[in-house]
Amino acid sequence: MTTTQAPRIVTVRQNILKANDHTAAGNRAAFRAAGVRAINLASSPGAGKTALLERTLRDLAGSVRMGVAVGDLATENDAARLRQWGSQAEQIVTGTVCHLDADMVQNILPRFDLDALDVLFLENVGNLVCPSSYDLGEAARAVLISTTEGEDKPLKYPTMFNTADVVVITKMDLADAVGFDRELCRENIDRARPGVPIIELSSRSGAGLDAWFAFTRGERV
Amino acid sequence: MHEASIALSLIDVASEVLRENGGARASALTVRVGAWSSVVPEALTAAFPACAQGTPLEGAHLNVVTVPGVGECPTHGPVTLDVRRGLRCPACGAPTPTLVQGDELELDEIELAEPQLEES
Ligand SMILES: [Zn+2]
Repeated sequence: MTTTQAPRIVTVRQNILKANDHTAAGNRAAFRAAGVRAINLASSPGAGKTALLERTLRDLAGSVRMGVAVGDLATENDAARLRQWGSQAEQIVTGTVCHLDADMVQNILPRFDLDALDVLFLENVGNLVCPSSYDLGEAARAVLISTTEGEDKPLKYPTMFNTADVVVITKMDLADAVGFDRELCRENIDRARPGVPIIELSSRSGAGLDAWFAFTRGERV
Repeated sequence: MHEASIALSLIDVASEVLRENGGARASALTVRVGAWSSVVPEALTAAFPACAQGTPLEGAHLNVVTVPGVGECPTHGPVTLDVRRGLRCPACGAPTPTLVQGDELELDEIELAEPQLEES
């Protein structure tokens, strides 16, 4: 027997976020077992996630049993705003962390009675970069962009849009006022995620909400 | 920015590998970051040293290899994509919906710091 003292290279080839993905798989299994459709909502700050959720909680209150877990920096409290429509809303305080991860969702789940829910919204922190890396165990991911943001956002944040199951263009009631270029925006969304369904709506006027409600229920958009 | 979170996860994965290798320390590690991974290599490199303090990765050099996006064009086969133009073949503009590569975020390899005594 001899000894060698060569420095060693260890080949690893492992996903850096494998621990998150493992927890996400557990969350997904829990949702599936309880028959809950979990929807991860991502957007820039101010794109209208909370307004859309308020409208959804209000309009579907009689027909869909919904809950919301809201990722917030400590200073905000969207959960209180959402509770007024009768659904359970819990705040996940992310502190300095700019995204939800699978552990945060796992930790908040015991506060919900999943068997009593049809849909659980996971409202991510307002940010189009970081949330894209973190699977939460959701069944579907919705990415929102408002008509008041630049039409080039889908190409500036390719990962977020590339992981979307649906892209929602919000604040369509403001489209004309802000000179929103609808065709350009749709073209850029399709470049970021060819073939992804696009829903145009206004939470204020109610236009386009039917398609969003269908998506919420898990129907084809 | 979430590069600090990514750096911490990287350190967790690497520390586990080091434990499996007899508690060795690392002198360098190589990660592969895809153009569609949403991770900025410079930010990850900047975040890593502080996150590594007090871990077996402290002082290790981080090599970040960026992986360009590659799509599959029906006409042109595998094509290198430009993130600013999205998932479109640069030659003909056809949609290339599936990333063949470019969404990686992985620890590729670790160089162990102290040579280990090995039976051969
Ligand atoms: Zn082509």
